[in-house]
Amino acid sequence: MNITERWKKEILFFDGAMGTMLQKQGLKPGELPELWNITKEEVILEIHKQYLMAGCNIVKTNTFGINPFKMKDSGHTCEELTEKGVELAKRAIAETGKDAYAALDIGSLGKLLEPLGDLPFEDACAAFAPACMAGERAGADLCLIETMNDTYEIKAAVLAAKEHTSLPIVVTMVPDETGKLLTGADLEAAVAMLEGLRVDAIGLNCGFGPDIMKGFLPKLREISSLPIVLNPNAGLPVVVDGKTSYLVEPGEFAAIMEGIAREGVSALGGCCGTTPAHIEALVKACKGIPPLEVSDKGRSVVSSYTHAVTLDGKPKIIGERINPTGKSRFKQALREKDLEYIYKEALAQQEKGAHILDVNVGLPEIDEVEMMKEVVTGLQGITDLPLQIDTSDITAMEAAMRLYNGKPLLNSVNGKQESMDAVFPLAAKYGGMVVCLTLDENGIPETAKGRIAIAEKIIKEAAKYGIGKKDLLIDTLTMTISTGQENAKTTLDALDYVRHTLGVHTTLGVSNISFGIPQREKANTAFFTIALFRGLSAGIINPNSEGMMGAYYAFCALNGSDSQCKEYIARYSGQVSQPAIPAGGSEITLFEAVVKGLSASAGQAAKKELETKEPLEVIDGELIPALDKVGQGFEAKTVFLPQLLMSADAAKAGFDAIKEHLKGQGDASESKGTIVIATVKGDIHDIGKNIVKVLLENYGFRVIDLGKDVPPEQVVAAAKEHQVNLVGLSALMTTTVANMELTIKMLKQELPECNVMVGGAVLTQTYADMIGADFYSKDAMGSVRYANALFA
Amino acid sequence: MKVDRKETLRYLGCRGQEIDSQTERLLNEVAEELERDSAPKSVYQEFPCKTEGDEVLIGGYRIKSANLAKNLEGCGYAVLLAATIGRAADFMVKKYSITNMAKAAITQAAGAAYIETYVDEVQASIQKEAAKRGLSLRPRFSPGYGDFALECQRELCAMLSCSTRIGLTLTEGNLMMPTKSVTALIGLAAKERESCQMGTCSQCGKIDCEFRTEESRGQTA
Repeated sequence: MNITERWKKEILFFDGAMGTMLQKQGLKPGELPELWNITKEEVILEIHKQYLMAGCNIVKTNTFGINPFKMKDSGHTCEELTEKGVELAKRAIAETGKDAYAALDIGSLGKLLEPLGDLPFEDACAAFAPACMAGERAGADLCLIETMNDTYEIKAAVLAAKEHTSLPIVVTMVPDETGKLLTGADLEAAVAMLEGLRVDAIGLNCGFGPDIMKGFLPKLREISSLPIVLNPNAGLPVVVDGKTSYLVEPGEFAAIMEGIAREGVSALGGCCGTTPAHIEALVKACKGIPPLEVSDKGRSVVSSYTHAVTLDGKPKIIGERINPTGKSRFKQALREKDLEYIYKEALAQQEKGAHILDVNVGLPEIDEVEMMKEVVTGLQGITDLPLQIDTSDITAMEAAMRLYNGKPLLNSVNGKQESMDAVFPLAAKYGGMVVCLTLDENGIPETAKGRIAIAEKIIKEAAKYGIGKKDLLIDTLTMTISTGQENAKTTLDALDYVRHTLGVHTTLGVSNISFGIPQREKANTAFFTIALFRGLSAGIINPNSEGMMGAYYAFCALNGSDSQCKEYIARYSGQVSQPAIPAGGSEITLFEAVVKGLSASAGQAAKKELETKEPLEVIDGELIPALDKVGQGFEAKTVFLPQLLMSADAAKAGFDAIKEHLKGQGDASESKGTIVIATVKGDIHDIGKNIVKVLLENYGFRVIDLGKDVPPEQVVAAAKEHQVNLVGLSALMTTTVANMELTIKMLKQELPECNVMVGGAVLTQTYADMIGADFYSKDAMGSVRYANALFA
Repeated sequence: MKVDRKETLRYLGCRGQEIDSQTERLLNEVAEELERDSAPKSVYQEFPCKTEGDEVLIGGYRIKSANLAKNLEGCGYAVLLAATIGRAADFMVKKYSITNMAKAAITQAAGAAYIETYVDEVQASIQKEAAKRGLSLRPRFSPGYGDFALECQRELCAMLSCSTRIGLTLTEGNLMMPTKSVTALIGLAAKERESCQMGTCSQCGKIDCEFRTEESRGQTA
């Protein structure tokens, strides 16, 4: 019987620890256990047999650590070791004559993925692939992705298993005592993503003994619609006389596991410290107890890499600002690849209270697929809000869905067959809730009835892909009242029906209602409030609009979804701490604002100065002298780093105001010169480089920031492309200074005229001279002085 | 566990400058966020230890490093320790590098202070256990110190299964991710004297270091 059928009928039993058994046989710490598949196959075979004789139904193959990174110097290929591992498990099953399954055991790569780490997502997928392919070829019955503590890596492993095998997939993770993975993801986020990816069972392993793991079971059962697997350790690891031990004995282990079985699970087994004796006791105690009755919890949920956002009684805000439509500054940012501008928009919306961020980076003149990949990856490094992938380019949508660390919202599908044929297969493969626009080949129906009919059509089509109502978010389309006064009513009537009669969640692009009329926010807030009242589940709005957010918080307070009006009071009682702008903040001069590091005041003061003075006068008379004063103070050690940086940020606010002013006059500001900066290959510490960048920009330089871990070739290419005569390189570690030297050498070869300045913790003047740098900057101000002299 | 203010300021290069109210607020906000979102984790294990000239044998692993050999000389056992405060600090630095550079710099410093405090705590409990067995601790010694090569990280992390047990991973260049992490060897010696002071600046040879503590200025290792 297929395993996915069988655990509906009976509790299945995994085996126990492999590593613990191998250590008893002499495996050294740090030694690759998988090599024993070849060098000591009889030991592996014997352990499998012991577990089978103890009564387990699922044997984990000895393949946990097989990936190209760990096997690099082993002298064997991943395929070879995997095939051998699966063969040994199959042989043990055959020789003991048991009715059991071989689970291809897949563990962590031991590397951290981008954007925090240095492993690209697709490289992670590729690293899991060889074991998956070889495992299925050798006859594995399922893939067990286990001891996982990073949802992003899990996603890479699941995609590899899905794309390279047709086997059922079980994923078990390791939470800490607070119920979170090491990445900070809570179980709800992890489960949302895994259900989206359509794995066959989920659960927990390692980390704890059965007693603590039992505590996570109620939550797991509440949120999961999948079979549940628990493989705990034989207790917490205890260090006795310097040795790590697991002290829970088989009898005690089995007794707690029996309690777990009676609460309802699909499969049980053991991890570190468990032995055939533990499994034998476990099987004896739990055999015959009925398994978990798996049921669809019907939860409508999207997730980020840390948390889930559930559409429930309380409406949600989808921030609409990451979108170039009608925004010239945003379009410019996309064309110039000024991603920082986009990231700032994201963080501003988060601060204003958005729950989900819409991401639209489509512009005819740019490569949307590449831009989408870069922005989605970048956003996941700075915000923990779930993203709504907004594009009509299906390739861009799939690219973003692959890279997304969680279960995204997709914007959008519509009633056209072509659209549904394209979007639903993606949602079925990668997971995601889908925004469904109620329009089709015949356009947008003028009546509520017409839009409802399209909603019903979409719901029916989605079901063919196994996408239930819970994963749809229907948009009954806001049309401006300036073209027909019935428009609001039509949208709202359809929305009400979809939410309350069809029982599907709803969304609207709210502000479209006021297109072409004056004082738009007035109509928008009123419409938003009515829509919320009629059943709007998630409004796509501008969170920077105080009116809209006010309507939202007031509505939640009034309809009872803001318990004890807590959020409303927190926001409006005036007790929320505001950034310290001193009384009479607008009175302060620009010079003072920069010296004191007050960004908001600096922006205001600059605007005021521009009313009477020329921009150049403001820069040379106030901004630069203020920066100089702070810079000198820093060098004289009367000002320390955070204060210097606050002043830099304040100056930036001043410069932004000036740029805005110049744009209004159709005059583009000129930079003093262009500088390429990078943290060299192998080094991931980039805060020093980022500080240098901020200061150089303050002083009017255009800075091309190549980021961290940058190969020498890329630095040379950028220097050539932008025809610069100054490159700044940073390195923190002694080991990466070698790469700095190489970069300088290549630069000097290709661009002899180009100057190189270097900095970073391990560097000294002597070092800098040795590796051929033109200038050693001992701190951030040093680089400014050098650049100023060079470009004078 | 609290973020150590004094250490944070030292890492920021503060030399007695006045802390204005704005900086004060940022320091507090960062400390609060870091304490809330960090997830300190550690793993350690004891191994037989033997020194042969400028080589050290830890379990079955041979390390060539005269400095380490000197540090572990006479120790029959050594504790291999790995600790991390998790990814929150790295995430915060990334986020604040976009919105508030001063806060990014403060996070960097506070995170460095926080991992040191945490490792001190873990080491204190190791010391307590060791004392029961009549053993004292040598100062902890990490890859990257002196001639103890950074490349050794790979094997040491594998010996403790760092990535699965505490989420500590290495980059291609053997740098630790999360960045606010520590691996170290701590020698266990028969208790002929009190345990050495835990990793203070006075043990380091880089006497012109900008961040050297005031107390150990002018001292050499």
